[in-house]
Amino acid sequence: MAPKKNAAAGANSQSTSSSTPATNTPVSNKPSSTSTASRNASTNPQDIATGIWENYVNNTPQRVKLIDTFMLFLVIVGGLQFLYCILAGNYPFNAFLSGFSATVGQFVLTASLRIQTNSANAADFKQLSHERAFADFVFGSMILHFFCVNFIN
Amino acid sequence: MRFTLLGLLLGFLGIVSALSATGSSLLVIIEEEADKSKYSQFWADLQGRGYEITYRSPKDTNLSLFLHGEPAYSHLLLLPPKSKGLGPNLTPNLLVDFINGGSNILLALSAEQAVPTAINSLLLELDINLPSDRTSLVVDHLAYDLTSSAEKHDVLLIPSAEPKKGVVDFFSVDGLVAFPRAVGQVLGNASPMLSSIVKAGASAYIYNPKEETEGVEDPFATGSQINIVSAFQARNSARFTVLGSSEALQDTWFDAKVRLPGTDYKAGKTSNKEFAQRLSEWAFKEIGVLRVEQVQHSLDEDTKDINPKIYRVKNDVRYSIEISEWDVDQWIPFNPPTGDAVQLEFSMLSPFHRLSLNSSPSTTNKDATAFSTTFRTPDQHGIFNFYVEYRRPFFTAIEDKQTVTVRHFAHDEFPRSYEISAAWPWISGIWVTIGGWLAFVAIWLYSKPTRDNKPASAKK
Repeated sequence: MAPKKNAAAGANSQSTSSSTPATNTPVSNKPSSTSTASRNASTNPQDIATGIWENYVNNTPQRVKLIDTFMLFLVIVGGLQFLYCILAGNYPFNAFLSGFSATVGQFVLTASLRIQTNSANAADFKQLSHERAFADFVFGSMILHFFCVNFIN
Repeated sequence: MRFTLLGLLLGFLGIVSALSATGSSLLVIIEEEADKSKYSQFWADLQGRGYEITYRSPKDTNLSLFLHGEPAYSHLLLLPPKSKGLGPNLTPNLLVDFINGGSNILLALSAEQAVPTAINSLLLELDINLPSDRTSLVVDHLAYDLTSSAEKHDVLLIPSAEPKKGVVDFFSVDGLVAFPRAVGQVLGNASPMLSSIVKAGASAYIYNPKEETEGVEDPFATGSQINIVSAFQARNSARFTVLGSSEALQDTWFDAKVRLPGTDYKAGKTSNKEFAQRLSEWAFKEIGVLRVEQVQHSLDEDTKDINPKIYRVKNDVRYSIEISEWDVDQWIPFNPPTGDAVQLEFSMLSPFHRLSLNSSPSTTNKDATAFSTTFRTPDQHGIFNFYVEYRRPFFTAIEDKQTVTVRHFAHDEFPRSYEISAAWPWISGIWVTIGGWLAFVAIWLYSKPTRDNKPASAKK
């Protein structure tokens, strides 16, 4: 057990050390204050987390942040429904299925909207405009909502 | 169905059913005309009850149990023949056909003469075993008649047995019944159609007086194994009764003075007359005949729609069956013996419900008892039967099957989700998701992406 644990710890430390430069490389273009802060605190986990968070806040487009907020909301709503199913039982099961699958389906649709409209992936979706992606998203979501409301009876 | 066929036949013969539920023509097989007078009280009793008695000798060449392929008589009383056999007109095959035709047989045996092999093999068909040496009789050194058989101990005096729980008591009489020179029968224990009417006492055993040996070694049967009177009811409810002692029906033993050995030296008259009446009433279907009058089933909440062809799963259903019993000269409401119940099965291959029915006087028919219950159809669709099968000793069988379809819920018959409070969290989950989505769409459309932020990521 012990050597295995050590090996795992080693792998962890390796991955963190390798990930730190990876996060640092794009950050190197940034204003020096943040980059120095992250570089100096590269061994402190709390500072790493703050660094990632600041990085996210500063570099993410506003619409992607909106999508992420919505997806987090869906995860919370879906998680609550699942928790209720575990605690209170799955009767009526179709209600659980439609309630839970509404959040899961919405999450999947939102994730694909995030992929298609993220400017980081612009190279992959040259022929697809953001407006088209959004229209697809709205259409798909409405079908999903119709299905769920119908299925719950 | 059987009753109607038989009724039709009897109509052709010009015989009106007087007492028995099945008909009043009785054929008595008696070999010697002179012996007839020995049973005069018994004949008088039968005639007084409305039977039309035909006496025939087994040697009679014109004797036939059948007319145009149907039983020519409703009942047959076979008295022990003096000669070796019963002749070609009363073979075991014909007698079995006679039962299958729905007619009843009362067979009287006697240890005075050897039992004919034909009768032996007929009884074997019905799983009733007689002693193999055919001349054996039943003796009991503790329950014999002191006045008539002080030496031989072959006149048994048997009181009526304690009624069994859940079994109807048709045969119990006050006092002792004498069974002189009885042939003991042993019933096979595999057949549910056999039942015992009178058993020998615990100290009885079967003994062959022709054997030379002193004492009995390895008797054929002992104690209450031995049946003096036993009954067989066929699947068509035709009755076959075996009376071990034909002498018990003779005038000599009706109200004979007897003395039972024992501490109290109980003396008195025999109850043979009453017992002979009870036995012949049962054997010739004057009692214990059941009839299904009316079967009704319906939804519990909608009793106006009687006997619908189709139900839904989880319907509350009410079922009721009316049964009456033939009692000598009329139909009376049937009540099962204490400890017994009429049961309903709601079955598809195997029963999904087996319920004891509650009895109450019928509201529509004063001659019947209504047996009813309510239950919920199982959560299983298919073809189901309301099935009442009532087979009990000494009662004719009842079998009633009503077939209905049980369908599943139609798609608009399920309860709406909002009627089930357990579904409310998931309903709100859906609407919260939809509301969140609408808010998201609104914010998305409202907030145009700022071009300022873009270049940083766009450069990558």
